[in-house]
Amino acid sequence: MTKQLTQERSKFVDFLLEYLVLFVIVGLVIVTAIVEPAFLSQRNFTNLMRQFGALSFVALGMTFIIMGGFIDLSVPGMISIIAMVTLSLVDIIGEIPAMMIGLLLGTMLGTLNGSLLVNVGANTQAKALFITFGMSQIYRALALILTGGFSMNWGTLFAHPMPVTRALGSGMWGPLSISFWLFIFFLVVLYIFQSKTFLGRAITYTGGNLTAAELGGIPTKRIVIFIYALGGFMVAVGSIVLFSRVSVTVPAIGDFFERDAIMAVVIGGTSLLGGKGSVIRTFMGVALVILMSNCMNLLGVQTHVQEVVRGIILVLAIWLDHRRHARG
Amino acid sequence: MNNNDVILSVQNVNKSFPGVRALSDASITVRKGTVHAVVGENGAGKSTLMKILSGVYTKDSGTVVFDGETIEHTTPIQSIRRGLSIIYQEFNLVNTLTVGENIFLGRYSEMKGMRNMHKQARTLLDSIGSTIDTYRLVSDLSAAEKQMVEISKALSFNSKLIIMDEPSSSLTADELTQLFTLINDLRSKGVTIIYISHKLDEIFELCDIVTIVRDGQVIDTKPIDHLTRGEMIAKMIGREIENEFPSRPLVTYNKVVMEVKTINTRKLKDISFELKKGEILGFVGLVGAGRTEIVRAIYGADKAGELKILMNGSPVKIRKPRDGKHAGIGLLPEDRKLEGLVLPFSVQSNIVMSSLENISKFGFINSSKEKEIAERQIKSLSIKTPSPHARVKTLSGGNQQKCIMGRWLEINPDILILDEPTRGIDVGTKYEIYLLIKTLVENGSSVIMISSELPEVLAMSNRVLTICEGRISGEFNPEVDSAHDIMDAAIG
Repeated sequence: MTKQLTQERSKFVDFLLEYLVLFVIVGLVIVTAIVEPAFLSQRNFTNLMRQFGALSFVALGMTFIIMGGFIDLSVPGMISIIAMVTLSLVDIIGEIPAMMIGLLLGTMLGTLNGSLLVNVGANTQAKALFITFGMSQIYRALALILTGGFSMNWGTLFAHPMPVTRALGSGMWGPLSISFWLFIFFLVVLYIFQSKTFLGRAITYTGGNLTAAELGGIPTKRIVIFIYALGGFMVAVGSIVLFSRVSVTVPAIGDFFERDAIMAVVIGGTSLLGGKGSVIRTFMGVALVILMSNCMNLLGVQTHVQEVVRGIILVLAIWLDHRRHARG
Repeated sequence: MNNNDVILSVQNVNKSFPGVRALSDASITVRKGTVHAVVGENGAGKSTLMKILSGVYTKDSGTVVFDGETIEHTTPIQSIRRGLSIIYQEFNLVNTLTVGENIFLGRYSEMKGMRNMHKQARTLLDSIGSTIDTYRLVSDLSAAEKQMVEISKALSFNSKLIIMDEPSSSLTADELTQLFTLINDLRSKGVTIIYISHKLDEIFELCDIVTIVRDGQVIDTKPIDHLTRGEMIAKMIGREIENEFPSRPLVTYNKVVMEVKTINTRKLKDISFELKKGEILGFVGLVGAGRTEIVRAIYGADKAGELKILMNGSPVKIRKPRDGKHAGIGLLPEDRKLEGLVLPFSVQSNIVMSSLENISKFGFINSSKEKEIAERQIKSLSIKTPSPHARVKTLSGGNQQKCIMGRWLEINPDILILDEPTRGIDVGTKYEIYLLIKTLVENGSSVIMISSELPEVLAMSNRVLTICEGRISGEFNPEVDSAHDIMDAAIG
């Protein structure tokens, strides 16, 4: 009954909360453009698109994991091991086969994460948090063992020319970078997957109420494994895009990507409680995260202050998430 | 009446929420030392009234006089300190604290040390004849024990009036008897009780006076012995219904649809029985006897050590709910909010959940069929919802339950298992659910029904199995055998 009390007056507030991220993006663009006109330059735009790269792919995968009611902290370790394995194979089997192996490895590691969770009976986000955190440590250490702790520079290391890597790293097609086109491709495919397919919907049921979904005949265990496999695949795409952009790949290359991906997903408005979300929202979330750091860089905000702002934004986003869902 | 003093007088209280008049001119007079029942369908305004009394809501107009003091604005803590406590159905206890700490929650500074606090808690519990150790954690207590803690807590404030909201909903028959003894005892000590319940038998057994609420209005207040059960129901729903239950459907088929050879788990011992096509089989037993465990094992929701089931004569392997569903079994779970519904989702999403896979081609959902299914079930079950896209959590309990029924009816399983299908549902909707069950078996499905309301199982079932301590302790024909014999076998 209290719900009805606030219903009318909160319609506007609800709308604002739903699309807050859009308003913030627009506000941020306007303010930065006024204070620092360099923001609107072609160069900065290209720069923005490049930064979009790896994070956007990881965040797309993370969207489904969070929508399914889980979370994945194994991203840094996975990015690291996938990049290292792929680069190590380039000279042996060639560029494209190596990338295929990288994608396969990502999918397999994701499947491993998911199976592990299902088999130890980890059915809550908290348990997934710790297990995937542990897995990240393992993957990252394996990457270090594999490379002996050395970094790799694909620009100078390999005898092969690497056209695909080069294209992914700095190629343009029309006004947009190749990696951004790739992102648009995945965004469209995953949006259709999320809204039109049984599997996509089954993920939201699983995240909405795992027990009810299971009792309703939804194959929840397979769903959990699937979202981690999909997440792993997307991490692999992100990893490849990432090493294409930075010519020197160090084992710590993936650090903080889990934080930024979760942040992008939650800021976009996908609920940490599971069940509700969208890849389109994640697109907006990634845009905001990237814009934020770009603007702060342009405005000359100190790095550590930037971290503080990022932290505050994440806490705010989670608070908003709870508010939105407490409303019912 | 023991005493003519009025403890609580509510005169012409109004309360509106935008679009809804929750209470209009509600007046109730409660006399000291009585057990005063308040009955009404879900959404009739009982809760709103009680929340005004306890200070959760503020009334729009009207007067409330409690213990000679006119009360304008109050907060929950002020009400409690004044001597008016309310015990909610879900309890208001902190699971991770001990019994003693819960009783004196927020008053530790007044207690002069933990030892003294536990001593006082002991005295309170002793005074109501409870032996719960005050050092136990609340999370380890049964529902009945939690209730004792709540009552002790209320008494620790020297409550003159205790409101109990559906106190019996999670109690076994034995525990209920104990609660009644306690309430009678409190009454004789001059404590007044407002007893809110859907269970009319309890009200007739326990209460002195009953107030009937419907659509935000007080319809009538009468001494209990001036009312019959039928009159009370008629006043609650605003029309006469001749029967609480539809006539018992006949079993017209002679085919065994499911044969449970053995179920053995840690809790269940050598369960075996048959289910005929078109039959309603009732499971009767105390809470915790193993009724829910049996059906969960059959459906694949719990792992069973040994599970041998024949469906239509051929063995089936059921390891997970999905297997159960594919074998032609559906389960309406005991706790509809936790196990049945996806509360933040729409009515449509909740209805189509189990049939979505069947209307998908190459993994793509046929969205027009999805809409069709939702509309069909909303219509045929007359689910009261503003739209298929309304969130299911905004619906009343009965309509929520119908959504889960609709989910299964769409699949049309051979066997539908109903675990407490009418718990917390008002009388009118209960009858609709009985009719649905009847239609279901008349169309050739079979039903296993678990219910803690004995009259309901006995009136609906063709056959009854009593479950006691993980075993089947008897088989009865409810048309012939007496309720007493059946209960006897269930208690063991």
